[in-house]
Amino acid sequence: MLDFSWLPDALTVLASGVATTMGLIVVVTVLGTVLSIAGAAARRSRSKGLRRAVGAYVELVRNTPFLVQLFFIFFGLPGLGIRLNAVTAAILAMTLNMTAYGIEVVRAGLEAVPKGQGEGGAALGLSRTRVFLSVVLPQALRVIFPALSSQIIIILLESAVVSQIAVRDLTYEADLLQSRTFRPFETYLVVTGLYLGLATAMRRGMEAGAHRWIFRGR
Amino acid sequence: MFRLLPQALATAVGLLAFCAGGARADGLADIQKSGVLKVGVFADFPPFSSVGADMSLKGYDIDVAKALATGLKVKLALVEVTGQNRIPYLTGHRVDVLMSVGKNAEREKVIAFTQAYAPYYIAVIGPKATDVKGASDLADKSISVNRGTLEDTSLTAAAPKSADIRRFDNYSAVMQAFLSGQVQLMAVGNDVGAQVLAKHTDIAPEQKFQLLSSPDHLAINKEEPALLKVLDDAIDGMKKDGSLDKVSTQWLGKPLDPKDLVD
Amino acid sequence: MDEFSTSDIVINLLLAARWTLALTLVAFLGGGVVGLLILAARIDPRPWLARSANGYIGLFQGTPLLLQLFLVFFGLPLLGLQIEPWMAASFGLTFYASAYLAEIWRGGVEALPKGQWEAARALGLPRSACLRLVVLPQALRMTLPPAVGFLVQLVKATAVTSIIGYAELMRTANAINNATFEPFTVYGMVAAIYFALCFPLTAYARRLEAGGQHRFGR
Repeated sequence: MLDFSWLPDALTVLASGVATTMGLIVVVTVLGTVLSIAGAAARRSRSKGLRRAVGAYVELVRNTPFLVQLFFIFFGLPGLGIRLNAVTAAILAMTLNMTAYGIEVVRAGLEAVPKGQGEGGAALGLSRTRVFLSVVLPQALRVIFPALSSQIIIILLESAVVSQIAVRDLTYEADLLQSRTFRPFETYLVVTGLYLGLATAMRRGMEAGAHRWIFRGR
Repeated sequence: MFRLLPQALATAVGLLAFCAGGARADGLADIQKSGVLKVGVFADFPPFSSVGADMSLKGYDIDVAKALATGLKVKLALVEVTGQNRIPYLTGHRVDVLMSVGKNAEREKVIAFTQAYAPYYIAVIGPKATDVKGASDLADKSISVNRGTLEDTSLTAAAPKSADIRRFDNYSAVMQAFLSGQVQLMAVGNDVGAQVLAKHTDIAPEQKFQLLSSPDHLAINKEEPALLKVLDDAIDGMKKDGSLDKVSTQWLGKPLDPKDLVD
Repeated sequence: MDEFSTSDIVINLLLAARWTLALTLVAFLGGGVVGLLILAARIDPRPWLARSANGYIGLFQGTPLLLQLFLVFFGLPLLGLQIEPWMAASFGLTFYASAYLAEIWRGGVEALPKGQWEAARALGLPRSACLRLVVLPQALRMTLPPAVGFLVQLVKATAVTSIIGYAELMRTANAINNATFEPFTVYGMVAAIYFALCFPLTAYARRLEAGGQHRFGR
């Protein structure tokens, strides 16, 4: 029979796991969004070398599993003298991952903005950067936001494997709990429910935010 | 799709139905009847149990498991387990015996233990030239340790304040820091320690003292007294005829010290 | 400990990659079959059926794959089933794939002009025949690019099954790494093997997408 008698004692560790997971997501969302915009700009740059380098990075990350990237960064890089602690390695792997998808999302968004808009800005004497930041990007965000927020949810779900390098996220706490309670199914059931709740709450929060700030006046 | 939390949860519950397992006879009878001893071992725990170039398992635990099966006159089936699934494997009767299980009060509530068959302890290792005999000698010395592990906790508790504890995030780094001279000492389990002691004779590393000992036991299901007795007797036999010493010398680099088998 | 030569590592990893491929195929085919059933339920006129299917999809797309695998692995034994890691991996990934494929195909079904349904119904075909003969063939063809794209996601997802003990490429890599202490080499090679599996599929999906007139972004 299912046994949840361990649950009341486990609330503190579960809360701390949720806090770590959400902390990771917040940091990665900020870093990943900024880098995605920078990467998309780099893919439109005039330097062929830069465009190619960003393209190669995107392909490399999109065609290898997140878990492999994480282990390579955490266990493999010390071979090159680069030692990162578990949390830094997790943030790096998650950010690299989100950015590889984010660049494509932002690029698609930028392509959806009519060329004339940028040209109009340039005709007003604005600089290239200025045109990008104040004319093109705000319009592109309407296309970008829904896809990017899906990507953030995906990263939240993928983040469960960072427990494997001993980041004390929600899944790590579940692993520890089940090794003490010997009730693995019940433990993972509760934690799966927590992830579902987090994903739902984040999705709703982002939708609400989008209506308020991005799609305002529509 | 995320607006559907209540539905999703309802589906989750709908997907599940539950039932409990029934009572079982003593595991020994099952083993003799089937002619197979199913032993749960790790695949990534050198030198106790790890893969060789042909991907077969080898190590201290494997040799002991082979001897146990031979003693029972049954075939050995090694089942690879992970830290997460091994106790459920045992309680679900997927394996008869688990190897490399440390004894603690929580585990004793759900499984039973034989006597210890292998040492597992955390020790401070240093070059021969460095004079360290106990925790108080760690003052002003630099020591590498794997962050957040049992080694870290016990070292931090035992070492004087002036000890310079350098925390790394994996064993390669802990070992490299020591072997390259970045730190004077290292605190590791005897599994990792054995590799250092065996591999790098140039700086003559030796074991200085133990921080904590938690020897490995065989674990079986509760209320299987016949199986428990047979396994305990088998371990006694291997201790007496010297075969356990041979296993220890091969994989841990030295014969068994009875003190290391005390919890 | 030092008995592994580089060629030993490569050969053992390549042999293990067979199990990655086998699992991918099983999950894609199994997920395809289950996914069609979910799709049929999802677009059924009976609200309770459509809602259940939607809940199923939301459940698998809103929780981490790792936790889904844990629940299958520790849950099925509670039902009295003896389950090996490869079975848990196959079941888990089949459910996972079915949810994503059903959602991809639904996109195709909904993109079809309403007239298709109406014309088929006007010919006197029952609903199930309309679906089977008219709607599905077109929807499947139309959604081939995202389906191939999902296949890449599935290859990568198999790496997570290493955590429940299925001896595919990633788990073999972990075992070898723990015996050789050469993580840079081992995980570098593993990344290269996954890339070799995924990149051709990615390129194929992109070609399909460029060739077709319909775009289904995810």
